[in-house]
Amino acid sequence: MKLAKQEYQALEYIVGREYITQELVILDTYNQVWGNKFFFDEKHSTRPSAVVLPASTDEIQAIVRVCNEYGILFKAFSSGFEYLSLALEKEKGILLDLKRMNRVLEIDAKNMRAVVEPYVSVYRLQLEAAKHGLYTGRIGVGYSAGVVAAECCHHGCQHTMVFTSGYGRNVLGVEWVLPTGEVLEMGTGESGGELFSADGPGFSLRGILRGRTGANGGHGIITKASVKLYPWYGPAEWEQEKKPGEPPSRGQLPKVPDGYKVLIPTFPNIDAALEAAADFCHAEILYSLSISLLGTDVPAEGNDEEWAMMQAADPELAEEVKSSLVLVIGGQSSRELKYREKCVLAITEKRGGRFLPEFNEPAALARSFVDMIWSNGVPALRVTGDFLPSSSSPDGSPDMLKNLALREGEIVQRYERSGAFFRRDTGQRQITWRPEENLSTGAQGISVALYDPYDPSSLEAARRFISELFDPRGKFQRFGVPARGGCLQIESVTHVHQNWGQRYDNYDLWLRKLKKMLDPNAVADWSAYIPPDYPDYPREGGYVMPSYPRKEEKGE
Amino acid sequence: MSWQDYTHDMQRCTRCSYCKWIPYRYMRNTDFIEGCPSVARYNWHAYAAGGKFNMAYSLLKGRIDIDDTFLDVLYRCQMDGSCDVSCKVQQDIEPLQLMQELRIKCVEEGKLPQPHQTVIQGLREEDNMMQAPKSDRGKWAGDMDVKDLAIDKAEVVYHAGCRYSYDKELWPVARAGLSLLQKAGVDVGIMGADEVCCGGRAYELGCSDEMEKYAQRQLETFRAAGVSTLVTPCADCYASFKVLYDKIGKGLGIEVFHITQYLERLLKEGKLKLTKKVPLTVTYHDPCHLGRLAEPWVHWQGKEVKVQGQMIVHDPPKQYRRGANGVYEIPRNILKSIPGLKLVEMYRIKEYAWCCGAGGGVIDAYPDFALWTAAERLREAGAVGAEAIVSACPWCKRNFLDAARETDNDIKVYDLIELVQKAI
Repeated sequence: MKLAKQEYQALEYIVGREYITQELVILDTYNQVWGNKFFFDEKHSTRPSAVVLPASTDEIQAIVRVCNEYGILFKAFSSGFEYLSLALEKEKGILLDLKRMNRVLEIDAKNMRAVVEPYVSVYRLQLEAAKHGLYTGRIGVGYSAGVVAAECCHHGCQHTMVFTSGYGRNVLGVEWVLPTGEVLEMGTGESGGELFSADGPGFSLRGILRGRTGANGGHGIITKASVKLYPWYGPAEWEQEKKPGEPPSRGQLPKVPDGYKVLIPTFPNIDAALEAAADFCHAEILYSLSISLLGTDVPAEGNDEEWAMMQAADPELAEEVKSSLVLVIGGQSSRELKYREKCVLAITEKRGGRFLPEFNEPAALARSFVDMIWSNGVPALRVTGDFLPSSSSPDGSPDMLKNLALREGEIVQRYERSGAFFRRDTGQRQITWRPEENLSTGAQGISVALYDPYDPSSLEAARRFISELFDPRGKFQRFGVPARGGCLQIESVTHVHQNWGQRYDNYDLWLRKLKKMLDPNAVADWSAYIPPDYPDYPREGGYVMPSYPRKEEKGE
Repeated sequence: MSWQDYTHDMQRCTRCSYCKWIPYRYMRNTDFIEGCPSVARYNWHAYAAGGKFNMAYSLLKGRIDIDDTFLDVLYRCQMDGSCDVSCKVQQDIEPLQLMQELRIKCVEEGKLPQPHQTVIQGLREEDNMMQAPKSDRGKWAGDMDVKDLAIDKAEVVYHAGCRYSYDKELWPVARAGLSLLQKAGVDVGIMGADEVCCGGRAYELGCSDEMEKYAQRQLETFRAAGVSTLVTPCADCYASFKVLYDKIGKGLGIEVFHITQYLERLLKEGKLKLTKKVPLTVTYHDPCHLGRLAEPWVHWQGKEVKVQGQMIVHDPPKQYRRGANGVYEIPRNILKSIPGLKLVEMYRIKEYAWCCGAGGGVIDAYPDFALWTAAERLREAGAVGAEAIVSACPWCKRNFLDAARETDNDIKVYDLIELVQKAI
């Protein structure tokens, strides 16, 4: 929906002509993201009325005030590599592309924290922090994702959480433009100090800021964040190299950097591997942990090569992957590193593990280090074109996560066998979870189902699969709200809170109260948060049916 | 292939934005991690390759038309292929080919930015991209004693290209290249006033018919001249002769060399010797058309198939052009063999090099953007301590010279030919 002239002019006055557009050609590049087909039955989600490129907090405040004045829905994003970051609930809505807010404002090495603007990517911060002997956590979605989005607004999980904890726990303070246009600083920021602690003195609002899964833009815009950094034992700079003529995906470190070691033990079975993983965590020696995902292979340049590699793979070795762990340890001194290595060896022996030479040769370990510490991106999106984070990263104990994954695995295999999903193998399901803070605060489970959204039968199966897992009336009886940062939730389509709130203390009522309090004019887009009021969607009994659009229903 | 043939790619672009940066594995200095000049300068997602996929898909779906904004976004792009390299680290899709086909569609519909229309009109009338008289084409050679292949026979034709033929400030470089060949005893000649444009730049603008016409003409001309080898000091021409002609099925049937390749051969054979010291710290700028865009064309015919349920593969396997097989080591090897010269590398090199800014018609239609892009490169050269930036393409040299003047940057700008000449 086009903005009225005075509405557009009010926004244009704030950012200048060069930084606002309502050209259809450009607008339509802000509503096409992977995953859209699953929710909207087409690659396009709602076309924004306009897109603006603000450069400062002042500009964002002014924009938000205009939105309040004219009833314009808004949402801000950084890289935009997520359908929920661009989806809008209403046609009269604008997007704020934060590309111009791209500064690392401060790296406070003494206090081990960084202050960044929203467009600063995780990998960029890694590069900057390493110069100071510091590190921020890996991000699963790859290097283009923003630090602010990951830490303050969205959810994900990754291998270094064992050391660096989950994203939300690393927020030390934010500058937050509320949906009313007011600026709020959390914790020490609110009390006039620097952004040292999100918990005070001053308001501690981390639970409201992001809670477990993030508000995904549902209650305003984070314009600056202070995030915790951790020790980095590697070099201040590094180069990943490849041979002339090799595809760019082959770039690798020549070896695991001094200061780190990678060890890949393989255990007699999955149970032993998981028990050992818990032991390693409790020993508080790990920098990064991966279960059943090794990252030791040469990264394929594309699907054809990956398929060739799969066909050439030794099936027995592939089976060993399922009961293997990747352990990255680091240390400030060689003695510290040696001590940690001794611990690894002792626990491995205790649990009956061994070190297969194929997994532990130097080049394989270096490749694994790169993936564990910085990520190889999201090749899963290449395999079939899309994926579903099926178990939705629930928090819980390793036992709970294991049981959940096994039960879910049975369901996944049914779809895989039917040909609707990418079939990884025919054996037992891989089990993986990612611990936070040495397993002291639980772990997160993760598994994905790969489907092709442009194959109608695969898409249909993907929706049935999700319904099967997440229908609270179903047999699966999963634990926890199935919302991975909204990753399976577009509010107007999947109605997650509406269906699950009643199972968990009516949390959704409280969330809606918060939404109304922070956003009295309902202008901050809630497509991946919660609506101020539930619309009257079709129901089946008490269950609100998913609202996937159908082409035939739209007359296409 | 037409633009609609890339529907799969339009659907599969995930919006990861990797096309905006160099591949993360090769990022080192955070001041120099952007890869696409277009989105770096204009910010809107549309200017990135991912945005082009989106535009194309919206066009396909009838949601937008080819209007002035569409043209502006599509043509404010050097077609340098950086996005293509970065995208394909993760995806099996073809951003550069889609952009090329979109430009061809625009031309087919009679839509081309006005400055490009003027250039193409000049090409049709004068056989060059510089809007200069065709009769002046061979003047760059001045009074050099060289065979005129319109009347003489020689084994090698030295094809200067439009920029060298008409840019007087660059004539000494074109002459130096030729004299090096002569000095090495190569049986070489030029086409003089009969040399015509390769058509590559026209193709990049979307005028595929023009390149086809010139490819046919070159084929006939070289056949008539009886040459067996073509050597060109222009990277754009090299990529046209070597890659684009093959792509459209008009291979010349003779050996094609960029002059750096030929000089390396002469050096190895001992026909040229680099003996004089050139005490200079230089950095080498990979011209896009000698680097990632010079990767040989891969002809593939087959179909997409599913394995393991839903994994998308090709039968037969498709070899994607990922930029790794451009000409990267040869120019560096030559520079390293010059006595006294120190080569320092920039942060964005080889297949993930930053463009000079001139390509894809940008220098003609959007000169300010061309200069901005070049100035960024000069800034990078300065950051690694280079006294001089060396390229191997007249378009790069032209744009760097202009940018240096525009920004009061005192860095020296050389073509590799000039440094070889100094060392002999």
